[in-house]
Amino acid sequence: MKPAAPLLPLLPALVLVPVLLMLPGAIHGGGWELIGQFALAAVQPSLDPVVLAAQVQGLGITCAVALVAWACSLLLGLLLGVLSARVVWHSCCGCQWPADVVARLLAVPRSIHELIWGLLLLQLIGLQSVVAVVAIAIPYGALVARVVRDLIDTVPRRSLEALLSAGVAAPQALVTALGPPLLPGLLSYGGYRLECALRSATLLGVFGLGGLGNDLVLSLQSLQFREAWSGLWLLLAVMLGLESVLASLRRHWTMPPRLQLGPRDGGQATIGAQGRQMLLVLTGVLLLAWALAAWLQIDPRQLLHWQTLPPLPAGGWRQALGLNWLPLVFNTLLLTLLAAALAVGSGPLLLLLLAPWRWGQGCLLGLWALGRLLPPPLTALLLLFVLKPGVLPAALALGFHNLGILGRLLREASASAAGGAEEALLQAGIGPRLALLYGRFSPIARSYLAYGAYRSDVMLRETVVVALVGGTGLGSQLRESLSAFAWQEIALLLVAYAVLTLVGEDLSDRARRQLLGA
Amino acid sequence: MINRTVASTALLELRQISVAGRETPRLSAVDLALHPGERVALLGPSGAGKSTLLAIANGALVPQSGTVLWQGVPQARSAPARRRQQRQIGTLWQDLRLIEELSVQQNLNGGRLAHWGWPRALLNLLVPLESEACRQVLHRLDLDPSLLAQPVSALSGGQRQRVALGRLLRQDPLLLLADEPLANLDPRLASELLAQLLREAAPPRALLLSLHRPDLLDGFDRAIGLRAGQVVFDQPAASVDAASLAALYSGANG
Repeated sequence: MKPAAPLLPLLPALVLVPVLLMLPGAIHGGGWELIGQFALAAVQPSLDPVVLAAQVQGLGITCAVALVAWACSLLLGLLLGVLSARVVWHSCCGCQWPADVVARLLAVPRSIHELIWGLLLLQLIGLQSVVAVVAIAIPYGALVARVVRDLIDTVPRRSLEALLSAGVAAPQALVTALGPPLLPGLLSYGGYRLECALRSATLLGVFGLGGLGNDLVLSLQSLQFREAWSGLWLLLAVMLGLESVLASLRRHWTMPPRLQLGPRDGGQATIGAQGRQMLLVLTGVLLLAWALAAWLQIDPRQLLHWQTLPPLPAGGWRQALGLNWLPLVFNTLLLTLLAAALAVGSGPLLLLLLAPWRWGQGCLLGLWALGRLLPPPLTALLLLFVLKPGVLPAALALGFHNLGILGRLLREASASAAGGAEEALLQAGIGPRLALLYGRFSPIARSYLAYGAYRSDVMLRETVVVALVGGTGLGSQLRESLSAFAWQEIALLLVAYAVLTLVGEDLSDRARRQLLGA
Repeated sequence: MINRTVASTALLELRQISVAGRETPRLSAVDLALHPGERVALLGPSGAGKSTLLAIANGALVPQSGTVLWQGVPQARSAPARRRQQRQIGTLWQDLRLIEELSVQQNLNGGRLAHWGWPRALLNLLVPLESEACRQVLHRLDLDPSLLAQPVSALSGGQRQRVALGRLLRQDPLLLLADEPLANLDPRLASELLAQLLREAAPPRALLLSLHRPDLLDGFDRAIGLRAGQVVFDQPAASVDAASLAALYSGANG
């Protein structure tokens, strides 16, 4: 028995069976009223001018942090990506081992979530405006570098070789031959990272690093749901606005589709007169980021002023090694698997159940936008009104957020896969859901799962975000160790996180290659 | 123009069908009736409205005016009733519209989905179902039964064409519609496929096929000439002569 393509995206949804079985045991008595109040507050957000002014200010800071951090990560990523590309080293000095060394080193900043960077920097240099920006720019820069490296190394080298053999110096030849084919892929990925940066900046706010996230969590904790919703509606407007601007730019410049994100398609898009437009827009956005950095009073020198830290506790290493590593790692992995299966499997299931219904498309769009909108720790906080702390609420919160991201991609992909086969089935009198399953899921199954594998790897990194609230896994231990300044524990926990995410990254890469190559 | 009085027994009847186009109408007051056992060829230059007429016939397109009757009954308004009607109409598409990621057997069984409930439709994606019936269909189409487990993407052009026809046979419709099924086929394959289609269109079935090659009219009972969305002739295929064909295609690119 081997499941055929259309069933593959639905298989992860089987996780709903154990989750639904576990749910009754995880529910505690009270809190439903609070959830009801929260839902009701969505239609009557606070319109108090003082609240709104504070939230607009918070949203401004969040957006500015996101844009500045994104701009830094893009420049950093471009530089590091070029430094880690084999072609570049090979063209300039004839050897390529330095590229591999740089690439390996970049795995470390990449494997650690921006929230951990944020909390670490917070402990080291205190609450400065530069913290959130640098916390996002470090992992994002390393992620962009990886994509840039893959893009550069997979662009056909014929034109580069032609220029080099004509006596053009290596740097000029590299820019001329590799720049144009690289730009569309880089900008498409960069656009995606800008959406991520807005989510990350909100998230860092939830953990006290300023901006709207801070207001949101304070409103929620003091049960001021109407205030929370006025902030959420504002954030939703910005998020959807940004997404639609980026989507229309992507369409305008015929960039690679996002579901097949990565080096595979990066070099395929063409560039012509549009290249000038792209560069102009990019320069404009970077200048805006520069102005916003000045508004936020970001000063890189703040990074050099470390706070006086308590001395290293004696016997700290022994204590660190004595942590309950097995349950910590196990819970982190369990949380990842549950969240990933929920996020990857529920999307296609919901699409199948709801899309053919007249109002279904609207419901799905709303649900997925809500998933992207709510930072996972806030969802976890809401879930804790009715669920006991543990892996389940953490997984539900993380899964719901990623469902929002995956669901949107799935909808885009399934809309572009609509047509021939599905229409033929419909004309033969087959119901809309079966026609959707057979006709539309078949062509997108593998690329969707491949993206799901990539997303699972992201979710492993993100476990820290909900583990802090859900009280499970490495993340909650890290939070405890951070507040106790137990640096030895922090160091070991970071190593554990890095190892786990690097292994996860490797596994998800293999899964993707197998899915897309088959 | 034929205006049969036995409308109640017609498998398909189109009355005064009009479909608007950008500049000129795609179909203009078209009448057509198709009875069990009839094999009808649709002729006409490119853009004459052949594909539009077939889309009206299988319900993919709703006309601006006019009536479509399937087995004497208008198209049902409710979706389930309409799907029951559409089960009786099978279309062979020019681009085949096979599901590339599925096996030959799963594609063949795709023709049965309208009759099956969800459990069997899901089971079809897990295990081979109704293998004997699928084997018989392949046998009828002169294909090797060992192909059943192959993905359709691994088949040759001719094999894929026959699998698409096989799916139609598994659907077992009364009305067979085919939109230029012989385009893109080499002459030998084209005549084989046509012979198979004509053979399958025995009563109680009927066949309406759009044809870009008037030289293949042998075996059809009737030929309908379409030009600029209007029926130019509707007569026994044997009586279509060079002069009427020349008039049909004159000045056209097709």
